[in-house]
Amino acid sequence: MNCSDITEIAPLYISAELDSQGAAEFDAHLKSCPACMAELEAQARLDERFREALLTEKVDVSRVNRRIRELIAAESSGPIAAPLLPQPRRWMAASMGIAAAFLLLAAGYLLVPGHVARVYADAGRDHQLEVVEQQPRPWITDPEKIAALAEQQGISGPVPSELASSYHLERAKICRLDGRLFLHLVYSDGAREFSLFLRQRDGQRLTGAIRGFSNGRLLRASSAGSENISSFETSHLTAMVATDQPADAALHFARSASAVLQD
Amino acid sequence: MGQASLSGLCLPYCDERIATTVTARQNEFERVAMPHSRSLLRVARRLASDPAAAEDLVQETYFRAWRSFNQFQTGTNIRAWLFRIMFNAFYAHGRQISAAPILVSLDAPGRDTEPQSQSGASLAEIAEISNALEELSSEHRTVLLLAVVEGFTCREMAGILSLPIGTVMSRLSRGRQALRERLAPAAPRVWQARAAAGRAGRET
Repeated sequence: MNCSDITEIAPLYISAELDSQGAAEFDAHLKSCPACMAELEAQARLDERFREALLTEKVDVSRVNRRIRELIAAESSGPIAAPLLPQPRRWMAASMGIAAAFLLLAAGYLLVPGHVARVYADAGRDHQLEVVEQQPRPWITDPEKIAALAEQQGISGPVPSELASSYHLERAKICRLDGRLFLHLVYSDGAREFSLFLRQRDGQRLTGAIRGFSNGRLLRASSAGSENISSFETSHLTAMVATDQPADAALHFARSASAVLQD
Repeated sequence: MGQASLSGLCLPYCDERIATTVTARQNEFERVAMPHSRSLLRVARRLASDPAAAEDLVQETYFRAWRSFNQFQTGTNIRAWLFRIMFNAFYAHGRQISAAPILVSLDAPGRDTEPQSQSGASLAEIAEISNALEELSSEHRTVLLLAVVEGFTCREMAGILSLPIGTVMSRLSRGRQALRERLAPAAPRVWQARAAAGRAGRET
């Protein structure tokens, strides 16, 4: 893979659509080519800046949701009640006329769901069952015992006691995700919680779309069921955040963890 | 007589079953489709001429989706399906709803408003990004919104926009470069120069 190939397929790499061989070749090129690495980092930073700005904007859906629900209720109970339709716009009226043709196209279109890596699916399920639904598990809450548990798992350095400004380490246990043991840490701000899964880095390769850059590391994002996952790697750790909060919150927590987990 | 009796017994039962089915379908639609209205409206606002037109476009999208919802397979990608419907509606109107400057709201979030981003870009930053976005072509703006903000893959975008995946990749790369030119004009752009050289090479 040369620099021209990299330029061409970078969008697929950023959105994690390359197959494992292609991604490995891409990674290998990045390691040997500072110019391409710098370019990719610049694009990741720009994406992050762009995303953050647009997601900060307020989008009020209360009115449009109410109109949609009224329309569906009317449609379900019989012919569409004219007063429930919005003020007709020329383009909308015209579109209704061609709806039948459109529906034939739309009905035939079904996308295959995106593949979720097994380790992310397991992390999402663990968070859902053990944290959100609070199914009973043998948690450890004593900070000293948590530190000992981390050390036992080969996780060097202190376990962060606080992340994302207001989230405190509350409990920990060992769990198995995709056949590998992880230290499952739960952080809480008193009302909401998120999970941080840590293990010694091995040959396992993280997948997921690149969603940011923190402390010199790529932040990746994925979703599993109703959970959002954000992951990154330090020189010796694999780290994953799982939360039932929005995707940008998962990214925020991962960024916070990346800031304190040293290489 | 017997038939009349049967009808008398059956009709209320059938009506009840139909009502139950419709309610279940509405509940399912509410559960799987409605959570995406915010994403759709966010993108529609960048496509439409004014906020009301954006809301109409989203409403029409949901109306069409509801009417074909019985053909939607649970577990498949409903977000991509809704976006495809929205872009089809948008294109069906000959893009009469062209993009207009976006109004950045300064209001505090209300009950149905989106929570602020965890890190929260400043208003100046939002305005700068919005201005840069408005200067892009609608093709570049569309793929950037879908890929970077909404998180769609190139393959999903190809389905949503009915384009070959190579076209999507090309638009995305050029869109990113165009955005960079506007937001960080001083930064070196190795890939842009390389892509330009590649194009020149192909043209000769």
